[in-house]
Formats: sequence, structure tokens, C-alpha cells
Amino acid sequence: MATLELKQVRKNYGNLEVIHGIDLFINNGEFCVLVGPSGCGKSTLLRMIAGLEQITKGDILIDEQLVNNISAARRGLAMVFQSYALYPHMSVRQNLAFGLENLKMEVDEIDKRILEAARLLRMEEYLQRKPGQLSGGQKQRVAIGRAIVREPSIYLFDEPLSNLDAELRVATRVELKALHARLGNTMIYVTHDQVEAMTMADKIVVMNDGIIEQVGAPLELYNKPSNKFVAGFIGSPKMNFIQFDYLPNSLKEIAPSNSTSLGIRPEHLSIKDENSLSLNVETVEQLGSDSFLYGTTSGEQKISIKLNYQTDIQANQTIKVGFKLDDAHWFDKDGIALTS
Amino acid sequence: MSAVIKFFSRTHGKNKLSFIDWIAYLYLFLGFLIIFLPVLWLLLNSIKSQFLLQKLDTNLLPLDYDRVVRATVFGPDGKEIFIIKDLPDWVIYWNELRDEDKKEVNDPNLFISKFEGKEYYALRTHLGLVSDHAKELIEEKNFPEWLIKYPSMFPDAKKEYNPEEYLINLNEEEVRLLSEFLGLKPYKPNGFTSQILISAKNTETNEIEEYSVSRLNTNKDTVNARLISNPQGGIVKIPTEDIIVNKKLRPSWINYSDPLTNNVRGMSFDAIKCLNNSVFVTIIATIITVLINSMAAFALSKYKFNGQIIFFIIILATLMVPASVLIVGIFKMVSVTGLNGTLWGVIIPGAATPTGVFMLRQYMLTIPDELLEAARMDAASEWSIYWRIVFPLALPAIAVLAILSIIWRWNDLILPMIAVSTTKTAYTIQLCLLDFQGEYVAQEHYRLAMTVVSLIPTTLVFVFLQRYITTGIANTGIK
Repeated sequence: MATLELKQVRKNYGNLEVIHGIDLFINNGEFCVLVGPSGCGKSTLLRMIAGLEQITKGDILIDEQLVNNISAARRGLAMVFQSYALYPHMSVRQNLAFGLENLKMEVDEIDKRILEAARLLRMEEYLQRKPGQLSGGQKQRVAIGRAIVREPSIYLFDEPLSNLDAELRVATRVELKALHARLGNTMIYVTHDQVEAMTMADKIVVMNDGIIEQVGAPLELYNKPSNKFVAGFIGSPKMNFIQFDYLPNSLKEIAPSNSTSLGIRPEHLSIKDENSLSLNVETVEQLGSDSFLYGTTSGEQKISIKLNYQTDIQANQTIKVGFKLDDAHWFDKDGIALTS
Repeated sequence: MSAVIKFFSRTHGKNKLSFIDWIAYLYLFLGFLIIFLPVLWLLLNSIKSQFLLQKLDTNLLPLDYDRVVRATVFGPDGKEIFIIKDLPDWVIYWNELRDEDKKEVNDPNLFISKFEGKEYYALRTHLGLVSDHAKELIEEKNFPEWLIKYPSMFPDAKKEYNPEEYLINLNEEEVRLLSEFLGLKPYKPNGFTSQILISAKNTETNEIEEYSVSRLNTNKDTVNARLISNPQGGIVKIPTEDIIVNKKLRPSWINYSDPLTNNVRGMSFDAIKCLNNSVFVTIIATIITVLINSMAAFALSKYKFNGQIIFFIIILATLMVPASVLIVGIFKMVSVTGLNGTLWGVIIPGAATPTGVFMLRQYMLTIPDELLEAARMDAASEWSIYWRIVFPLALPAIAVLAILSIIWRWNDLILPMIAVSTTKTAYTIQLCLLDFQGEYVAQEHYRLAMTVVSLIPTTLVFVFLQRYITTGIANTGIK
């Protein structure tokens, strides 16, 4: 049970600064997801919190204690790695016990904690196996189990689901969320997958190029992205952006001043005349429940549309698409969101 | 076993041997012979008797011949050569017996009392009884004492005495004894050599007769032989294909049992001590080598520190320095540190090997860093990361290093020569083999047998651990 605070945290590799002064506060018991494209510095930030990377400048506080110079081992955190990093020469039980043995814990206590974790994660039957004999999902559980037995103040997850197949990923996602609800610990979770971020997080931190673009609850980010990057990153398929110059005059008139582009999510577009754009359909994808239309509007602006019904629209057809004004996002020339 | 049969009966052709099969099996067989024949030769020679080895016997099997003794006796009638058959081994090898064996085990006086005439004289000389008997005679007759010292005098000193005057009143036997002792003409010390008994057709009489030969080289067309019934007849040449040799398969196990029970005649030699020293050196040195090298490799592969590359290059550069260049330096180091004469002087200078560090470093680079980070998160100390994570995971490479170290250490001759060559009690088996000769006689039969014994550990290491070598070497990417 702990809070985490970052104050102007910076990281340099030689002369190259990769983290440009991060300020962040994570509340006790919060499930916080760091999300961003690959190379944005989210994993580095997590490793700095863990104590595996030195920080160049700034302060990290856990429970209001400065931990800058405290080693990874003594910060009382536990981390689940992307590759799970299970010790391949040890059985599952030994993997779980290793951290506790290093803390010079009593054998009885170690056994008790391992049994508890095994029951919680339903892995009693393969405690004696080696990691090489486990499936991906089982390895995942062991890696989480290794964190749980430590009873850490904060859990750190570094893209833990990226090695699982799609079905298992969804199942594990749900389990992790349930686990968080049961344990109630602070968890920090790094992913590049915005779906994971949206589904699991209490608080999402969107990062790009070593800075935080926006912090907020999932729906807040979806409904009120503070800039073009967040708007484009959150939501699938990506938000459509249309440059101001190519908008029909009717829309130009109602746009806020200084806007240079319009953002509209594919699921908010529909086939109607109101606030409409003329769209030349190039590709149609029918998923049964949904239909995706891809096409271009004037000025070669690419547009995608998500319809939640089956459609008889064909490629090379020209249609009119419109949207509700409430769903429109307007951005200025720096990509900052404007309120209409 | 069935797997072996299956392996060897594989064919490239559908049901019968194809051309490629023939080539392949021929090649395999040839390779097998090239590698295996020298080893087989060593094994079989190691159970040949000393006699056969001295005769440069070329048979593969330890086929022992019937032996006879050719004796040469000098007397007033000139020299007489004759053959004595059926002598026991201890008589034939009398000169190589230790003093205590001569007196305690056998009684030469009793033995020669069964002989008379020229055979008696030959055996008396051979068994070293001439001086004993002569001294008794000198005392009995109250002759002056200088007679006893006379045989060992310098030629100039001998001129001042005239021993021949004492021969006048003696009987023929006593004259002979004293003359042989004093070296007075026409008597001389009698000759006595062991020879091979063969049978062949006498070209003159066309009858099968027995001959003795000193050396049997079947590669030559003729054999120099001496007719046993008429040894004075001189040497005759007999065509090699006509001779009949009586051979018996008689492996000489004493080649092994004598040195291993510390029962080598003519010298005090402790093969067991040498083997123990070698085992000690090999095991302790291998443990130290594995520890030191893996720790160095761990630091070089898993830590970032200033001069990392420099250190690595320096370690690798020592690979280029030939071992013989280091001999003087190592000797000085060993003697300055006071390690000379102890086994630690053999163990410590070779404990860190650049090959080992390099091999283990390359292997440890393949261990993912995330495992180490996970261990750090698990509150492991750096030592327990090394000992409980990296060391067990590098075991395939460490096994290779251990095997190589065992073989290096066991076969090493240079380091023991540098460190312990002046201290017999610290000899390793390789030094022992080098030193395996008596003061006057080379004991090749013991040396060969002990060479075979010294090969056993490395062979066992290969037989049982070779799969680690192949898999480990494949994994470390070192050929």
C-alpha cells in the first residue's frame, strides 16, 4: 500500500536525454497504466521507478520517502517482466521462494506465502515443474506469483501480456483486473496497447518522446483528448483528421477560431447529410457486426468510418458522411485541443 | 546396443550397400584404425615383458618366447660359448634385483651347487658370488689383505704388486676363482645373456635342431642364430621363413602390479603417490579454475565498468603468448612466493586461463539481462546473482571448461617441472613417467604400463562427459 511521486525525473544516455522531466503522482491503490508508442520512454520510466536504471535528475518518492539512492532490492517493489524472466533452472516453487530466501524469511512463512499465491493464481499442480515445461499463460501466472509472494507495496508490470496469444491476453487482462481489485495494491502497468490501457486502468498516462502528453481516466482521454497525439493514440480505429482548408464551408463557419484541423472518430461518422463530407469509398470491410469503410474526401484526406451494422455500400461509390457537432474535436496549429 | 547396430547398419542405398556406403564405411574404418591402432599398440605393449621390450619385439600381442641363456666362459683353453636352458626368471634378471630380494628371497649359493663345470662358473660370475668366494679363500689361506682391494685398484697401483705368486700353491679350482676375482689372464669375468630359443632345420644334417638367437626381427630375411648342441660352431644365418618359434601368449601383469604396489626392482618408486598427487592437483586446480574464470567472465559479460574492453583485450592477448615464454617468469614467481616444491605451486600459476574466461564470457552474454534484473528485484545480492543464477545457467559452458581443465591438468608436464621437479614427494604422474627409470636400467615395461594407467582418468572423462563437450562447445560457438 503506497503512493508514488515523480518530481522532474530526467534520464540521459550520454548526451541524449530520453526522459524530459516527468511529474506524476500515483495514488494509493491506483491501477496506473503508462501507455505510448514504442520508444517513448515508458519502459525506461518504469525501470527507473523500479531502481534498475539510475535517474539523471529529479526525485522519486515512495510513500513520501525519497528512494533515489535506494537499491532496487530495498525499494519494496515487485516487477513482472515482459519475458517473465523466470529462472529456467529452478522449479516454479523455487522461483517463488528465491526472493523470499534472499530476505532471510522463515521457511514456514515462505511455504505459507507460496501456497497462498499458488491458490490465488490456480497453479498448485505445476509448482514442481520447471519454466521450460510450462505454457505461456502458466509462465505468466508464475511471473505474477513471484511478485505476489513478495507482498510488495507497488507492483510494476512491463508489458506482461505481449507474449500471449490474443485470446489468452483478453482472459489474463480480466484476471489481472480482478487481482487488483482483490489485492488493492498500487500497480503501475506499461503497455503500448491502448486497448489494455483503456480496459484496465484507473488512470492512464499517455507518453510520447519522453514527456507526458496527458494523464486521466480512460473515458476522459477518449472524450476529451488534450491534444492531437492523445486523440490519435486512444481509440481504435484511429481518429480521422481533416485539415481545415479542405472542410466544406458550412463546417468552417462553426469551427472555433484558430483551428487548423478537425478530428472525428470513425465510430462517430454516419451516412447522413447533416454536417456532411463527400467521401469516395475505396475499400469496404464487412465484419458481420460492424462494417468499415475507407476512402478519401477532397484534398486526398483519408477517412475511415465504422458502422455498427451491415451495409450494401460498394467500393468506388461516392457517399455523404456526417457527424454530430458534439463529437467533433478541433485542434490548433500546435495540435492543442480547442473547445468549441 | 540395438541403437549401435542400427547406427552401423544404416545404408544410403535402399536395401543394399550403395557406392557411397562403401566409400563412407571404408573412410570410417580407416579413420578408426588411424586413431585406434597407436592406442592398441600402447595397450598391448604395456603387457609385454621387459625381455620382449628389450629385444625390440614387433609383435602386436605379448607373445613370449622360450628362453635360454648364452654364457661365455673364459679359461686356459680360450673362451667357450654355451647355452644353459631352463633357468628361473630370478636368475636371468639377477642384476636387476634389489639387494634385499637377492638375499632374502633366493639363495644363490644353494642354486649353483646344483651345477658344475663351466655352467657353475658362468652362474657364479652372474650371481656375484666370485668376490664372496674369493674373499673366503683369501682369509682361509691367510693371504695379505691388499689382495681383496686389488681388483678396484688403479692400473698404476696394481704394478706395485704381484698377485700371481699366490696362485702357485693352489689347486685348479682355487686358481680359477682367484684369477677371475683378480682379473688375471687367461681368466676374465664370464658373460651371461638371455636369448630366444628357436627351432630350425640344420642345413648340413637336414635335421630339426634348436638354436638360440639374440634378436628376432621377422622383417629381415635371415636370423643370426647359434646352434645349441654346438654353440662353439659360431653364428649361422638361417632364413627367417624356415624357423619355428615357440611362442606362448604370456601377458606380463607385473608391469602394472609392481609399480602400483610399490614393488619395483632396483629403484624405490611410488606410482601411487604420483597418482594421488595428480588427482589432487587436477581436482583442486579444476575447482579453482572454474571459480576464478566464471567470476571473471561474469564481471566481463554482465557489468558495465570503465576499462571493460581493455581488460577483456588484455586477457585475450595473453592467449597469444606461448607457454614456453612464460617458463622463467613462472619459475621466479613460484620460487619467490615459496610455492616451489609444493603442489600449490603447480595449481595456482595455471588457475586463471584466458581460454576459459573467453569461453564463459561468450556463453554468459547469451543469458538474458532480465533474469539478473529479476533477481535484483528479488533482493538478491550480487554474489547470489552470480552463484544462484548465472553459474547454474552457464553450466553447459562450465562443464566444457571443467573437462578441458581436467585434461590439461592431468596431462600437464611443464608446470610440474617448473614447480616441483626437485621434490620427489610432490611429483605428478607425468613427471613420474618421465623419471621412470632405474639408476642403471631403463624400465620401459613399467613406463608403458604406467602410461596406460595415466590415460585412464582422461579416457573416463571423455567417455562419460563427451556429450557435455559437444553440446557445450556448440553452444559457446567455439570450435
